[in-house]
Amino acid sequence: MSLLGMFWNQTVCLLQHFRGRKNRCYSLAVRAVRRAFVYASKARKAKRRSMRQLWIQRVAAASREQHMKYPALIHNLLKCSVALNRRVLCDLSITEPRSFQSLTALAHARRTEGLRAALGDGAEPPGVFSRITQLQ
Amino acid sequence: MKYGTTFSFCWSGGSKLLLYHYSHVEVKFIKCFFKMSSFSRSAQQWATFARSWFLIDARMQPPGKIASMCSVRLQGKHKPIYHPLSDIGDHVVVMNTRHIAFSGNKWEQKVYSSHTGYPGSFKQLTAAQMHKKDPTAIIKLAVYGMLPKNLTRRTMMQRLHLFPDDVLPEDILKNLTEELPQPREIPRKLSEYTQEERNAFPMLWTPA
Repeated sequence: MSLLGMFWNQTVCLLQHFRGRKNRCYSLAVRAVRRAFVYASKARKAKRRSMRQLWIQRVAAASREQHMKYPALIHNLLKCSVALNRRVLCDLSITEPRSFQSLTALAHARRTEGLRAALGDGAEPPGVFSRITQLQ
Repeated sequence: MKYGTTFSFCWSGGSKLLLYHYSHVEVKFIKCFFKMSSFSRSAQQWATFARSWFLIDARMQPPGKIASMCSVRLQGKHKPIYHPLSDIGDHVVVMNTRHIAFSGNKWEQKVYSSHTGYPGSFKQLTAAQMHKKDPTAIIKLAVYGMLPKNLTRRTMMQRLHLFPDDVLPEDILKNLTEELPQPREIPRKLSEYTQEERNAFPMLWTPA
């Protein structure tokens, strides 16, 4: 039951694709495997960030097709208490275009109501969508 | 990222066909009378991942705005299926680059610097000199600077086609699918206003 044997048994599947002597020689392999584990741990956190970034880019592209900007879309959906997250919005924009179109129409309507309320000084009656208050 | 084999979305809207008249460069829109949702699944997938050809007229437009529109489409960021590794950018054809319009005094003040690495070869050209030397260089450099600084940038630049005038070669004309609206509304010259409009314009005071 040698430590060396244990090491190679456990890590041979990990370091098969390493370059040079790092996949053969114990001293170099130990260092390389430790770095690989560190990178993997950091990447698990970064993966969540990059996935969210990709969702946001996709939702922004889809909303620009519907003549709406991403910040306006998100803020107005929030004001209508539509609690869809970016992942779901991204999937809708790809596989359910009509639903996404109706969401942008909702956000656009809420936005125009907000602008009218801000500019009109409350003289006109508030719109239909503004009556939805945010969920607590 | 796999999202199933069927695509039900028509994110290119009703794609606009382009008619181009050689004689007096008239570009007409003809809206297609079909929707992508009436296509079969395989046709939808083909249309989704196809590479479009966009046309932009840069006459009297600020080159930076033209360049940002180009860079968005070259990267594929206008598509909901965007991914930086997917290579889903489209082709962009820019015509009339000779007639771009910088705002302010940029024609004299904006400086393009270059250095070949050899001593004594630091060159600085104003935008006007650069434009005279090569009428497509300003937009080319602007788009190059706006694309992501990685290895895909060169392939995206190969998909950008710049023409100084509105004469386009036939093979590019055949490929064009959509014309993009100009970012800047061109203001009318005083000579283009009719006498009635000029009289109707309100005057604060009449010179005595």
